[in-house]
Amino acid sequence: MRLLLILFLLLQINSLKADEIYNLQINSLKADEIYNLLKIPNLEVYKLNNSNGIKYLNAKKDLKIGIKDNITCNKSNKKKLDEKFSLVSKNLDRYDADFLKKINLRFIVLCENLYISKINTGGIPDHKKRTLILDLNFNKIYFERVIHHEIFHIIHNSFKEIFNETIWSKLNDKSFKYAECSTCSDRLNLNLYDKTNGFLTEYSKSTASEDMAEIYSFLITDKIIIEKKSTKDPILFNKIEYIKSGIDKIIKFND
Amino acid sequence: MINKIKASLSEKILFIFLISLAAFSFSFFFIIKNKCFFIKEINPEEIQFDNPENIAIMNVECGNVIIELYPNFSPKAVGRFKYLIQKGSYDKSSFYKVIKDTLVQAGDIEFGNIDNINYFKVGSGRSGLGALNSELNDVFKFDEGSVALARGTELNTEDSEFFIILKKIDLYNGEYTPIGKVIHGLEALKKIKSANKSGYVLRPDFINYIKLLD
Repeated sequence: MRLLLILFLLLQINSLKADEIYNLQINSLKADEIYNLLKIPNLEVYKLNNSNGIKYLNAKKDLKIGIKDNITCNKSNKKKLDEKFSLVSKNLDRYDADFLKKINLRFIVLCENLYISKINTGGIPDHKKRTLILDLNFNKIYFERVIHHEIFHIIHNSFKEIFNETIWSKLNDKSFKYAECSTCSDRLNLNLYDKTNGFLTEYSKSTASEDMAEIYSFLITDKIIIEKKSTKDPILFNKIEYIKSGIDKIIKFND
Repeated sequence: MINKIKASLSEKILFIFLISLAAFSFSFFFIIKNKCFFIKEINPEEIQFDNPENIAIMNVECGNVIIELYPNFSPKAVGRFKYLIQKGSYDKSSFYKVIKDTLVQAGDIEFGNIDNINYFKVGSGRSGLGALNSELNDVFKFDEGSVALARGTELNTEDSEFFIILKKIDLYNGEYTPIGKVIHGLEALKKIKSANKSGYVLRPDFINYIKLLD
Protein backbone atom coordinates (compact mmCIF):
# COMPACT_ATOMS: atom_id res chain seq x y z
CA MET A 1 0.00 0.00 0.00
CA ARG A 2 2.82 2.38 0.97
CA LEU A 3 4.62 1.54 -2.26
CA LEU A 4 1.51 2.42 -4.24
CA LEU A 5 1.22 5.71 -2.40
CA ILE A 6 4.87 6.60 -3.08
CA LEU A 7 4.41 5.68 -6.74
CA PHE A 8 1.32 7.91 -6.95
CA LEU A 9 3.20 10.86 -5.39
CA LEU A 10 6.12 10.41 -7.77
CA LEU A 11 3.74 10.47 -10.74
CA GLN A 12 2.21 13.69 -9.43
CA ILE A 13 5.64 15.33 -9.11
CA ASN A 14 6.56 14.23 -12.64
CA SER A 15 3.33 15.60 -14.10
CA LEU A 16 3.96 18.96 -12.40
CA LYS A 17 7.42 19.16 -13.90
CA ALA A 18 5.99 18.35 -17.34
CA ASP A 19 3.52 21.22 -16.96
CA GLU A 20 6.24 23.68 -16.08
CA ILE A 21 8.47 22.58 -18.94
CA TYR A 22 5.57 22.78 -21.37
CA ASN A 23 4.77 26.31 -20.26
CA LEU A 24 8.37 27.35 -20.72
CA GLN A 25 8.47 25.83 -24.17
CA ILE A 26 5.32 27.61 -25.32
CA ASN A 27 6.32 30.99 -24.08
CA SER A 28 9.03 31.95 -21.64
CA LEU A 29 7.76 35.54 -21.60
CA LYS A 30 5.35 37.06 -19.20
CA ALA A 31 2.17 37.59 -21.15
CA ASP A 32 0.31 40.86 -20.69
CA GLU A 33 -2.19 42.96 -22.62
CA ILE A 34 0.48 44.74 -24.69
CA TYR A 35 2.23 41.50 -25.63
CA ASN A 36 -1.18 40.11 -26.59
CA LEU A 37 -1.66 43.02 -29.01
CA LEU A 38 1.80 43.50 -30.53
CA LYS A 39 3.74 40.32 -29.71
CA ILE A 40 6.54 42.48 -28.35
CA PRO A 41 7.44 41.71 -24.73
CA ASN A 42 8.40 44.00 -21.84
CA LEU A 43 6.58 47.12 -22.99
CA GLU A 44 4.55 49.66 -21.09
CA VAL A 45 2.32 52.48 -22.24
CA TYR A 46 4.10 55.83 -22.43
CA LYS A 47 1.43 58.03 -24.02
CA LEU A 48 -1.93 57.28 -25.61
CA ASN A 49 -4.62 59.67 -26.86
CA ASN A 50 -2.57 61.69 -29.31
CA SER A 51 -4.45 63.75 -31.86
CA ASN A 52 -3.11 61.71 -34.79
CA GLY A 53 -3.89 58.39 -33.10
CA ILE A 54 -0.26 57.37 -32.53
CA LYS A 55 0.26 55.31 -29.38
CA TYR A 56 3.67 55.53 -27.72
CA LEU A 57 5.09 52.60 -25.79
CA ASN A 58 8.44 52.17 -24.13
CA ALA A 59 10.59 49.23 -23.11
CA LYS A 60 10.39 48.67 -19.34
CA LYS A 61 12.90 45.82 -19.67
CA ASP A 62 15.34 44.70 -22.37
CA LEU A 63 13.56 43.03 -25.24
CA LYS A 64 14.31 40.40 -27.86
CA ILE A 65 12.08 39.70 -30.83
CA GLY A 66 12.21 38.42 -34.39
CA ILE A 67 13.56 35.27 -35.96
CA LYS A 68 15.91 33.66 -33.43
CA ASP A 69 15.62 36.84 -31.33
CA ASN A 70 17.74 38.71 -33.90
CA ILE A 71 16.25 42.06 -32.88
CA THR A 72 17.35 43.34 -29.48
CA CYS A 73 16.82 46.59 -27.64
CA ASN A 74 17.48 47.78 -24.10
CA LYS A 75 15.01 49.24 -21.66
CA SER A 76 14.60 52.98 -21.90
CA ASN A 77 16.00 55.27 -19.24
CA LYS A 78 13.22 57.49 -17.88
CA LYS A 79 15.20 60.72 -18.11
CA LYS A 80 16.34 60.03 -21.67
CA LEU A 81 12.86 58.93 -22.66
CA ASP A 82 11.28 62.16 -21.44
CA GLU A 83 14.02 64.15 -23.10
CA LYS A 84 13.77 62.45 -26.51
CA PHE A 85 10.00 62.04 -26.51
CA SER A 86 9.37 65.68 -27.35
CA LEU A 87 11.62 65.29 -30.39
CA VAL A 88 9.91 62.09 -31.50
CA SER A 89 6.38 63.41 -31.01
CA LYS A 90 7.24 66.72 -32.72
CA ASN A 91 8.23 64.74 -35.82
CA LEU A 92 5.31 62.32 -35.66
CA ASP A 93 2.87 65.20 -35.22
CA ARG A 94 3.71 66.27 -38.77
CA TYR A 95 1.51 63.38 -39.94
CA ASP A 96 -2.27 63.47 -39.53
CA ALA A 97 -4.46 60.58 -38.44
CA ASP A 98 -5.82 59.97 -41.94
CA PHE A 99 -2.36 59.64 -43.51
CA LEU A 100 -1.08 57.41 -40.69
CA LYS A 101 -4.11 55.16 -41.08
CA LYS A 102 -3.48 54.85 -44.81
CA ILE A 103 0.17 53.93 -44.36
CA ASN A 104 -0.49 51.55 -41.43
CA LEU A 105 1.40 53.26 -38.63
CA ARG A 106 -0.13 53.21 -35.16
CA PHE A 107 2.48 52.28 -32.52
CA ILE A 108 5.86 53.78 -31.73
CA VAL A 109 8.08 51.69 -29.46
CA LEU A 110 10.88 53.60 -27.73
CA CYS A 111 13.94 51.78 -26.44
CA GLU A 112 17.74 52.12 -26.38
CA ASN A 113 20.52 50.47 -28.39
CA LEU A 114 18.45 48.84 -31.09
CA TYR A 115 20.21 46.07 -32.98
CA ILE A 116 19.14 43.82 -35.84
CA SER A 117 21.41 40.84 -36.44
CA LYS A 118 24.03 42.62 -34.29
CA ILE A 119 23.97 45.75 -36.49
CA ASN A 120 22.97 48.98 -34.76
CA THR A 121 20.01 50.69 -36.41
CA GLY A 122 17.98 53.84 -35.78
CA GLY A 123 14.64 52.19 -36.29
CA ILE A 124 12.85 49.04 -37.35
CA PRO A 125 9.51 49.39 -39.15
CA ASP A 126 6.85 46.69 -39.26
CA HIS A 127 3.88 47.81 -41.32
CA LYS A 128 1.96 44.58 -40.70
CA LYS A 129 2.05 45.21 -36.96
CA ARG A 130 1.66 48.95 -37.69
CA THR A 131 4.67 49.50 -35.48
CA LEU A 132 7.93 51.45 -35.61
CA ILE A 133 10.65 50.71 -33.06
CA LEU A 134 13.00 53.66 -32.49
CA ASP A 135 16.42 53.74 -30.82
CA LEU A 136 16.58 56.69 -28.43
CA ASN A 137 20.37 56.46 -28.42
CA PHE A 138 20.81 56.71 -32.17
CA ASN A 139 23.23 59.39 -33.42
CA LYS A 140 21.82 62.80 -32.46
CA ILE A 141 22.77 64.35 -35.82
CA TYR A 142 20.58 61.96 -37.77
CA PHE A 143 17.94 61.09 -35.16
CA GLU A 144 15.08 63.22 -36.49
CA ARG A 145 15.75 62.36 -40.11
CA VAL A 146 15.94 58.66 -39.27
CA ILE A 147 12.39 58.82 -37.90
CA HIS A 148 11.12 59.91 -41.34
CA HIS A 149 13.46 57.51 -43.11
CA GLU A 150 11.88 54.60 -41.22
CA ILE A 151 8.38 55.99 -41.73
CA PHE A 152 9.08 55.89 -45.45
CA HIS A 153 9.80 52.16 -45.18
CA ILE A 154 6.35 51.75 -43.64
CA ILE A 155 4.87 53.80 -46.49
CA HIS A 156 6.82 51.79 -49.06
CA ASN A 157 5.77 48.44 -47.63
CA SER A 158 2.14 49.54 -47.61
CA PHE A 159 2.28 50.93 -51.19
CA LYS A 160 4.77 48.79 -53.11
CA GLU A 161 2.94 49.47 -56.37
CA ILE A 162 3.27 53.23 -56.01
CA PHE A 163 6.97 53.15 -55.12
CA ASN A 164 8.16 50.67 -57.73
CA GLU A 165 11.81 49.68 -57.23
CA THR A 166 12.34 48.65 -60.87
CA ILE A 167 11.12 52.01 -62.17
CA TRP A 168 13.18 53.75 -59.50
CA SER A 169 16.37 51.89 -60.41
CA LYS A 170 15.97 53.02 -64.01
CA LEU A 171 16.26 56.64 -62.84
CA ASN A 172 19.95 55.97 -62.12
CA ASP A 173 22.85 55.77 -64.57
CA LYS A 174 22.75 52.51 -66.49
CA SER A 175 26.11 51.49 -65.04
CA PHE A 176 24.93 51.77 -61.41
CA LYS A 177 23.78 48.78 -59.38
CA TYR A 178 22.42 48.63 -55.86
CA ALA A 179 23.54 45.96 -53.37
CA GLU A 180 21.39 42.89 -52.69
CA CYS A 181 20.29 44.24 -49.31
CA SER A 182 20.85 47.28 -47.10
CA THR A 183 23.22 45.42 -44.78
CA CYS A 184 24.98 43.58 -47.63
CA SER A 185 27.09 46.62 -48.49
CA ASP A 186 29.46 48.82 -46.51
CA ARG A 187 27.71 51.93 -47.83
CA LEU A 188 26.41 53.07 -44.46
CA ASN A 189 27.37 56.74 -44.14
CA LEU A 190 24.39 59.06 -43.64
CA ASN A 191 26.15 62.40 -44.30
CA LEU A 192 24.75 64.52 -47.11
CA TYR A 193 27.05 64.57 -50.16
CA ASP A 194 28.35 67.90 -51.44
CA LYS A 195 28.18 66.58 -54.99
CA THR A 196 25.15 64.39 -55.16
CA ASN A 197 25.32 62.66 -58.59
CA GLY A 198 21.86 61.18 -58.09
CA PHE A 199 22.42 60.12 -54.49
CA LEU A 200 22.09 62.15 -51.32
CA THR A 201 24.22 59.95 -49.05
CA GLU A 202 26.45 56.91 -49.26
CA TYR A 203 23.64 54.90 -47.67
CA SER A 204 21.38 55.90 -50.60
CA LYS A 205 23.54 53.66 -52.78
CA SER A 206 22.81 50.52 -50.76
CA THR A 207 19.34 49.59 -52.11
CA ALA A 208 16.52 51.23 -54.07
CA SER A 209 14.32 51.22 -50.98
CA GLU A 210 16.99 52.93 -48.84
CA ASP A 211 17.60 55.43 -51.63
CA MET A 212 13.90 56.33 -51.69
CA ALA A 213 13.82 56.55 -47.88
CA GLU A 214 16.82 58.89 -47.88
CA ILE A 215 15.19 61.19 -50.46
CA TYR A 216 11.94 61.15 -48.50
CA SER A 217 13.58 61.88 -45.15
CA PHE A 218 15.55 64.82 -46.56
CA LEU A 219 12.36 66.09 -48.20
CA ILE A 220 10.75 66.21 -44.78
CA THR A 221 13.67 67.63 -42.79
CA ASP A 222 15.80 69.61 -45.31
CA LYS A 223 13.53 70.22 -48.27
CA ILE A 224 15.07 73.54 -49.39
CA ILE A 225 18.64 72.21 -49.36
CA ILE A 226 17.97 69.14 -51.46
CA GLU A 227 15.66 70.93 -53.89
CA LYS A 228 18.48 73.40 -54.45
CA LYS A 229 20.88 70.54 -55.08
CA SER A 230 18.42 68.94 -57.47
CA THR A 231 18.51 71.96 -59.79
CA LYS A 232 22.01 70.86 -60.80
CA ASP A 233 21.35 67.12 -60.63
CA PRO A 234 18.69 65.80 -63.06
CA ILE A 235 18.74 62.27 -61.60
CA LEU A 236 18.13 63.64 -58.13
CA PHE A 237 15.43 65.93 -59.51
CA ASN A 238 13.57 62.99 -61.07
CA LYS A 239 13.87 60.98 -57.86
CA ILE A 240 12.46 63.84 -55.78
CA GLU A 241 9.55 64.23 -58.21
CA TYR A 242 8.88 60.49 -58.10
CA ILE A 243 8.67 60.50 -54.30
CA LYS A 244 6.49 63.63 -54.24
CA SER A 245 4.04 62.25 -56.77
CA GLY A 246 3.86 58.95 -54.87
CA ILE A 247 3.03 60.71 -51.61
CA ASP A 248 0.40 62.78 -53.44
CA LYS A 249 -1.22 59.58 -54.68
CA ILE A 250 -1.40 58.24 -51.13
CA ILE A 251 -2.91 61.46 -49.80
CA LYS A 252 -5.57 61.30 -52.53
CA PHE A 253 -6.00 57.55 -52.06
CA ASN A 254 -9.35 56.54 -50.59
CA ASP A 255 -9.80 53.28 -48.68
CA MET B 1 -9.08 -2.31 38.83
CA ILE B 2 -8.57 0.65 36.61
CA ASN B 3 -9.34 4.01 38.06
CA LYS B 4 -11.24 6.43 35.86
CA ILE B 5 -9.10 9.52 35.26
CA LYS B 6 -10.99 12.76 35.07
CA ALA B 7 -9.77 15.23 32.40
CA SER B 8 -8.41 18.46 33.74
CA LEU B 9 -9.81 21.82 32.59
CA SER B 10 -6.78 22.55 30.39
CA GLU B 11 -7.14 19.13 28.76
CA LYS B 12 -10.80 19.83 28.05
CA ILE B 13 -9.93 23.21 26.49
CA LEU B 14 -7.21 21.61 24.37
CA PHE B 15 -9.65 18.90 23.24
CA ILE B 16 -12.29 21.47 22.25
CA PHE B 17 -9.65 23.53 20.45
CA LEU B 18 -8.48 20.52 18.45
CA ILE B 19 -12.04 19.56 17.51
CA SER B 20 -12.77 23.15 16.39
CA LEU B 21 -9.52 23.30 14.43
CA ALA B 22 -10.35 20.05 12.65
CA ALA B 23 -13.87 21.27 11.81
CA PHE B 24 -12.55 24.59 10.57
CA SER B 25 -9.82 22.95 8.48
CA PHE B 26 -12.31 20.52 6.98
CA SER B 27 -14.80 23.25 5.95
CA PHE B 28 -12.03 25.61 4.82
CA PHE B 29 -10.57 22.87 2.61
CA PHE B 30 -13.90 22.39 0.83
CA ILE B 31 -14.54 26.13 0.48
CA ILE B 32 -11.09 26.68 -0.97
CA LYS B 33 -11.46 23.69 -3.29
CA ASN B 34 -14.69 25.13 -4.62
CA LYS B 35 -13.48 28.20 -6.50
CA CYS B 36 -17.06 29.16 -7.34
CA PHE B 37 -18.17 29.25 -3.69
CA PHE B 38 -18.46 33.03 -3.46
CA ILE B 39 -19.78 33.60 -7.00
CA LYS B 40 -23.33 34.88 -7.18
CA GLU B 41 -25.61 32.77 -9.36
CA ILE B 42 -27.04 34.74 -12.29
CA ASN B 43 -30.46 33.68 -13.54
CA PRO B 44 -31.26 35.40 -16.87
CA GLU B 45 -34.98 34.71 -16.40
CA GLU B 46 -35.01 37.08 -13.44
CA ILE B 47 -33.51 39.96 -15.44
CA GLN B 48 -35.33 42.42 -17.67
CA PHE B 49 -33.35 43.23 -20.81
CA ASP B 50 -33.81 46.29 -23.01
CA ASN B 51 -32.59 44.44 -26.12
CA PRO B 52 -33.34 40.75 -25.55
CA GLU B 53 -32.50 39.97 -29.18
CA ASN B 54 -28.90 40.99 -28.48
CA ILE B 55 -28.35 39.04 -25.27
CA ALA B 56 -26.07 36.00 -25.18
CA ILE B 57 -25.83 33.71 -22.16
CA MET B 58 -22.52 31.96 -21.69
CA ASN B 59 -22.43 29.20 -19.11
CA VAL B 60 -19.06 28.42 -17.51
CA GLU B 61 -18.00 26.42 -14.47
CA CYS B 62 -18.88 29.19 -12.01
CA GLY B 63 -22.23 30.09 -13.54
CA ASN B 64 -23.81 32.28 -16.16
CA VAL B 65 -22.20 35.25 -17.89
CA ILE B 66 -24.61 37.62 -19.64
CA ILE B 67 -23.25 39.44 -22.68
CA GLU B 68 -25.04 42.29 -24.42
CA LEU B 69 -24.09 42.36 -28.10
CA TYR B 70 -23.59 45.60 -30.04
CA PRO B 71 -24.47 45.06 -33.71
CA ASN B 72 -24.54 48.84 -34.23
CA PHE B 73 -20.77 48.94 -33.63
CA SER B 74 -19.77 45.80 -35.54
CA PRO B 75 -22.64 44.33 -37.57
CA LYS B 76 -20.59 41.71 -39.40
CA ALA B 77 -18.70 40.54 -36.32
CA VAL B 78 -21.85 40.31 -34.20
CA GLY B 79 -23.59 38.50 -37.08
CA ARG B 80 -20.75 35.95 -37.19
CA PHE B 81 -20.81 35.55 -33.39
CA LYS B 82 -24.57 34.96 -33.32
CA TYR B 83 -24.37 32.49 -36.19
CA LEU B 84 -21.70 30.43 -34.43
CA ILE B 85 -23.68 30.50 -31.18
CA GLN B 86 -26.77 29.22 -32.97
CA LYS B 87 -24.71 26.43 -34.57
CA GLY B 88 -23.43 25.45 -31.11
CA SER B 89 -19.85 25.94 -32.30
CA TYR B 90 -18.74 27.60 -29.08
CA ASP B 91 -20.07 24.86 -26.79
CA LYS B 92 -17.15 23.20 -24.97
CA SER B 93 -14.72 25.73 -26.43
CA SER B 94 -11.72 26.08 -24.12
CA PHE B 95 -10.35 29.23 -22.55
CA TYR B 96 -6.92 28.29 -23.85
CA LYS B 97 -5.44 31.78 -23.49
CA VAL B 98 -5.88 33.43 -20.13
CA ILE B 99 -3.83 36.34 -18.83
CA LYS B 100 -4.49 36.52 -15.11
CA ASP B 101 -6.77 39.41 -14.11
CA THR B 102 -6.48 40.75 -17.67
CA LEU B 103 -8.30 38.67 -20.27
CA VAL B 104 -9.78 35.30 -21.16
CA GLN B 105 -9.89 34.05 -24.74
CA ALA B 106 -11.86 31.21 -26.30
CA GLY B 107 -13.59 30.36 -29.56
CA ASP B 108 -11.07 28.33 -31.54
CA ILE B 109 -13.71 25.98 -32.86
CA GLU B 110 -11.26 23.89 -34.89
CA PHE B 111 -8.52 23.12 -32.36
CA GLY B 112 -9.83 24.44 -29.04
CA ASN B 113 -12.77 22.17 -28.25
CA ILE B 114 -12.14 20.61 -24.85
CA ASP B 115 -12.98 17.12 -26.12
CA ASN B 116 -10.22 17.13 -28.74
CA ILE B 117 -8.03 20.10 -27.90
CA ASN B 118 -4.82 20.33 -29.93
CA TYR B 119 -2.24 22.12 -27.79
CA PHE B 120 0.13 22.58 -30.69
CA LYS B 121 -2.42 24.24 -32.97
CA VAL B 122 -4.88 25.90 -30.62
CA GLY B 123 -5.23 29.56 -31.52
CA SER B 124 -4.74 28.94 -35.22
CA GLY B 125 -8.07 27.27 -35.95
CA ARG B 126 -10.54 28.50 -38.53
CA SER B 127 -14.31 28.48 -38.62
CA GLY B 128 -14.41 27.77 -42.34
CA LEU B 129 -16.43 30.95 -42.88
CA GLY B 130 -13.43 33.07 -43.87
CA ALA B 131 -11.73 36.01 -42.22
CA LEU B 132 -13.69 39.14 -41.40
CA ASN B 133 -12.55 42.69 -41.95
CA SER B 134 -11.81 44.51 -38.71
CA GLU B 135 -14.64 46.81 -37.63
CA LEU B 136 -12.74 49.33 -35.56
CA ASN B 137 -14.04 52.49 -34.02
CA ASP B 138 -12.82 55.00 -31.49
CA VAL B 139 -16.17 55.38 -29.75
CA PHE B 140 -16.25 51.98 -28.08
CA LYS B 141 -14.21 52.01 -24.87
CA PHE B 142 -12.50 48.85 -23.72
CA ASP B 143 -13.70 48.88 -20.13
CA GLU B 144 -13.87 45.88 -17.82
CA GLY B 145 -16.06 43.19 -19.39
CA SER B 146 -15.66 44.30 -22.99
CA VAL B 147 -15.97 41.48 -25.50
CA ALA B 148 -14.12 41.62 -28.84
CA LEU B 149 -13.17 39.37 -31.70
CA ALA B 150 -9.56 38.22 -31.45
CA ARG B 151 -7.23 38.55 -34.45
CA GLY B 152 -3.65 37.96 -35.49
CA THR B 153 -1.14 40.81 -35.32
CA GLU B 154 -2.54 42.03 -38.65
CA LEU B 155 -5.94 43.65 -39.07
CA ASN B 156 -8.72 41.93 -41.03
CA THR B 157 -7.88 38.47 -39.67
CA GLU B 158 -10.84 38.08 -37.31
CA ASP B 159 -12.73 34.77 -37.48
CA SER B 160 -14.39 32.95 -34.58
CA GLU B 161 -12.14 33.57 -31.57
CA PHE B 162 -13.14 36.16 -29.04
CA PHE B 163 -11.80 37.53 -25.79
CA ILE B 164 -13.24 39.26 -22.75
CA ILE B 165 -11.17 41.72 -20.76
CA LEU B 166 -11.24 41.63 -16.96
CA LYS B 167 -9.98 45.16 -16.50
CA LYS B 168 -10.05 48.46 -18.36
CA ILE B 169 -7.44 48.49 -21.16
CA ASP B 170 -7.26 51.89 -22.87
CA LEU B 171 -4.60 50.64 -25.27
CA TYR B 172 -7.20 48.40 -26.94
CA ASN B 173 -9.51 51.30 -27.86
CA GLY B 174 -9.72 51.35 -31.64
CA GLU B 175 -7.51 48.24 -32.02
CA TYR B 176 -9.96 45.35 -31.84
CA THR B 177 -13.44 44.70 -33.21
CA PRO B 178 -15.85 45.05 -30.27
CA ILE B 179 -18.87 42.77 -30.17
CA GLY B 180 -20.37 43.53 -26.78
CA LYS B 181 -20.00 43.83 -23.05
CA VAL B 182 -20.55 41.53 -20.09
CA ILE B 183 -23.45 43.01 -18.16
CA HIS B 184 -23.73 40.30 -15.49
CA GLY B 185 -21.47 37.52 -14.22
CA LEU B 186 -18.00 38.88 -14.82
CA GLU B 187 -16.93 37.37 -11.48
CA ALA B 188 -17.43 33.90 -12.97
CA LEU B 189 -14.88 34.74 -15.67
CA LYS B 190 -12.35 35.93 -13.11
CA LYS B 191 -12.28 32.37 -11.78
CA ILE B 192 -11.28 30.86 -15.13
CA LYS B 193 -8.04 28.90 -14.78
CA SER B 194 -4.97 30.87 -15.82
CA ALA B 195 -1.35 29.97 -16.47
CA ASN B 196 1.45 31.31 -14.30
CA LYS B 197 3.61 33.16 -16.81
CA SER B 198 2.56 32.42 -20.36
CA GLY B 199 -0.95 33.14 -21.50
CA TYR B 200 -1.49 29.53 -22.60
CA VAL B 201 -3.28 27.17 -20.25
CA LEU B 202 -2.88 23.43 -19.90
CA ARG B 203 -6.07 21.51 -19.15
CA PRO B 204 -8.04 24.73 -19.55
CA ASP B 205 -11.51 25.62 -18.31
CA PHE B 206 -14.14 25.77 -21.00
CA ILE B 207 -17.51 27.16 -22.03
CA ASN B 208 -20.29 24.70 -21.22
CA TYR B 209 -22.54 26.39 -23.76
CA ILE B 210 -23.52 29.76 -25.19
CA LYS B 211 -27.06 30.48 -26.26
CA LEU B 212 -28.99 33.53 -27.38
CA LEU B 213 -31.78 34.69 -25.10
CA ASP B 214 -34.28 35.03 -27.95
